Amino acid sequence: MPHISLDEVTMRFGDIYAVKDIDLVIRDGEYLTILGPSGCGKTSLIKIICGLWTPTEGRVSIDGVDVTDVPIEDRHVGYVFQNIALFPHMKVLKNVSFGPRMQGRTVEEGREIAEKSLRLVNMLERLEMFPRELSGGEQQKVSIARALASGARLMLLDEPLSALDARVRMDLRYEIRRLVKDLGITVVHVTHDQDEAMSVSDRIVVMRNGGIVETDTPMRLYRRPNNLFTAYFIGETNLMEGMVSGKDDRNLLVRLRDGTDVKVGGNRHFQVNDGVILSVRPEYVYTAKEGLHSTVLQVIYLGSYWRVVTRSNSADIVEYNIPKHREPPAIGDKVSLVFNRKMSMVYKRPREGTSEAIRLE
Amino acid sequence: MSLTKRIDDLSSRRGVRNGWFGFITIFFLSFIILPTVYVLIYGLADFQNLSDAVLGEPEVMSMIWGAVFTSFSLALLVTIIDLVIGLPMAWIMVRKDFRGKRLLDTLIDMPLAFPTAALGFSIGIFWGLPVDAPVPPGALGIVAEPYILIMLLHIIFTYPYMVRSLSAILEQIDQSYEEAGMTLGASRLTAARTITLPLFRAGLITGFILCFARSLSETGGTFIALITVGKADVFFTGPTLIAWLKQPDVGVADVEAVLAVVSIILIITAIVFLLIIKYVLGRVSVPFDKVWPRWERVLSRGTFPKAKDLLSFVFLFTIVIIPSFFIFAYLLVPAPGDMDWSGLVDALSYSFMVAGIVTAADIVLGVPLALYIARHRDKKLAQVVDSLVNVPLIVPTTALGFSLALFWTTQDLVTNLTVLVIFAHIAFTYPLVVRNVAGAVMEVDPSYEEAARTLGAKPFGTFRTVLLPIIRASVLAGAILAFTRSLGETGATVAVSAEANTMPVYIVNLINSGDFYLASIAAMVLIIVSFIFMLALRYLVRRDGGGY
Repeated sequence: MPHISLDEVTMRFGDIYAVKDIDLVIRDGEYLTILGPSGCGKTSLIKIICGLWTPTEGRVSIDGVDVTDVPIEDRHVGYVFQNIALFPHMKVLKNVSFGPRMQGRTVEEGREIAEKSLRLVNMLERLEMFPRELSGGEQQKVSIARALASGARLMLLDEPLSALDARVRMDLRYEIRRLVKDLGITVVHVTHDQDEAMSVSDRIVVMRNGGIVETDTPMRLYRRPNNLFTAYFIGETNLMEGMVSGKDDRNLLVRLRDGTDVKVGGNRHFQVNDGVILSVRPEYVYTAKEGLHSTVLQVIYLGSYWRVVTRSNSADIVEYNIPKHREPPAIGDKVSLVFNRKMSMVYKRPREGTSEAIRLE
Repeated sequence: MSLTKRIDDLSSRRGVRNGWFGFITIFFLSFIILPTVYVLIYGLADFQNLSDAVLGEPEVMSMIWGAVFTSFSLALLVTIIDLVIGLPMAWIMVRKDFRGKRLLDTLIDMPLAFPTAALGFSIGIFWGLPVDAPVPPGALGIVAEPYILIMLLHIIFTYPYMVRSLSAILEQIDQSYEEAGMTLGASRLTAARTITLPLFRAGLITGFILCFARSLSETGGTFIALITVGKADVFFTGPTLIAWLKQPDVGVADVEAVLAVVSIILIITAIVFLLIIKYVLGRVSVPFDKVWPRWERVLSRGTFPKAKDLLSFVFLFTIVIIPSFFIFAYLLVPAPGDMDWSGLVDALSYSFMVAGIVTAADIVLGVPLALYIARHRDKKLAQVVDSLVNVPLIVPTTALGFSLALFWTTQDLVTNLTVLVIFAHIAFTYPLVVRNVAGAVMEVDPSYEEAARTLGAKPFGTFRTVLLPIIRASVLAGAILAFTRSLGETGATVAVSAEANTMPVYIVNLINSGDFYLASIAAMVLIIVSFIFMLALRYLVRRDGGGY
């Protein structure tokens, strides 16, 4: 069973780094997602893993064997393309049996293998159709079957769902996860959609500007992101600039720009007078008698809850949620906001400025 | 192990792949580019001799410069006329829907299917005043001035290039820009002029260069039209001067040296002039900031647009279609008694043999180069090769033929006439195949090939099973273009040797000897053969477009 390791992998085009000094271990049978904004180097990384690109520096190994110089066709890595890339001049059967045929199997064996893997994705009845006769979702299922039929134990999914309609996208992502987990296949899935990454992955690698920001399980990345960029990129969050105004052995006191002091658990490594960013997700913002004085700007109905957008006296925008059965405030109402002490995160204020630190492109 | 399997395995090695592309590039440089421009090197090496024999002879030099000047002024005039009359037609073809549009589409391309040799003859007897030969009824015989006659001829075979390049761009320009302009108060003419026209630049440049280069380098049709009206020994364009000098007994001293000088001047001026055009047109913007809302509104309505469209059609039929087809009027003339068909059969089969070999060579050696260009666009060498491919298209074919023959015969490398003709034809048809196939490969998403590779296919296997079937129609289209071009080419053949017996040369000889009737039959045969091939081409292109 395959596990993959990347050792200081760098890919450079002239002066431009597509990826830089990447160290990563993908465990056997793991569903790993590489998440990042467009241009962060995530697609470069899987092109290097499958051998379409040879890295400028660093080594790639599969199952402990160095494959950096092994040509693509001998790596036996399944690749599912964003634009699907089913051969347009071949019927579904020929497409799916292409891999087995290339490995020297007979037409009959190829057909048998193709049928088996088409059955897995419920596409068996489409055997005699051309790709253009199928819907987008069906095409992508066939292309997954094609990758499976080549006998690959490692699958690379390059934004496999982004060309599809929203509804199909939701259904297919769970179907893919179920399938690969049943078969025990290792998957590296690349996406820029954080919902998609959260809902299918065992672990997520967050990438930005050709480097890895942080790697962890979806739950830990959401609840306790180590990095300001991760906090902003995964889920929604309120970011407020402040300064450490006091600390004891359990809490940190952060003074926001309008002078309000907020108590935050942990984070004892900060010193008084450090410039920080406070990050609190909307579901951990509550109203109270006394807190951050804010004015309601907007009230949005989101089905299962209300979203309230407020602005503090020092122009910090803070959003919070109200259960759908409660009466929302009116626009212009004054509210006082407090934050969940344990679920508030504090980050060192970045030297390049907050907006630069969370910029997506 | 089967052969394909063995090639598959070989292709997996990087060294083998690089070696193969290296071989193709070397072939391209040494068999196509070097012979094409060899005369320049020859001229430098033998400058003393050339300058003694030619440059010091004011009479000869004035004849040469006169011919070159005629070529350029003709090319410029013809291109401008094409632009003025081609633009409304392109507009009609893209923006209007009407019954018979498909037919009109075919009619516009018709002159491309006509070998220029046949066209030149048809134009000569329709407009011109042929000497001592029977012409069919209906011939106008009103153009005595050879310059005007050649202009009318050149308009016919350049017009389709202009309409095609303009409509290709027009099709890509979103009509909603123009509509937005009209909702903001611009009349139709103002909107078209100020919004759509400036977006046209790319199409204008392509159209301009195609028409200009074609007019500049055309030999066969021009030469034949001049022979038909008996002016081939007094009126010259650059290329026909070479063709004329290649005829036996022209009474010019030191013919070879004169030929070399004409070829050198033609090649250098053609390349320089086209570079200038590309540079100037790419930078000069259309100086049309001014608007005249009231006048343009008047011109946008009522009878003016209709008159414009009507004129476009009238022009198409009276200048392009009817004169081209006039040659078929010879079918109304009773055949003279004894006819010798054997010459025609010989010439036709010789032409077919040459065109067949040339096309096969183009495909086998052109497709790999096209692949190299299309898939290594980030590499310097591929970019250089990409621009070099155009050189044989720009160089007038007579100059190309002369240069190439000089290259191969100087060291007695090749003395066989047929081999020389084949080499010359490969040189100017090779770019057609490379351009066509490279264009098609660039359209194909590389992920098809990447997918095949991840599924275990070797590089050659990927080409064979995935890429080739997808681009098959374009390869065939390139082959047909090369075949018909070789079939109809006069200039390069004559420049290699006036004795090579291809169809167009055969027609030249018939007209020279005054046998207009047999010449017309030969021309009709050539037209029909080319036409059949062109229909096949259109079918392929259309099917390809509607496919994947």
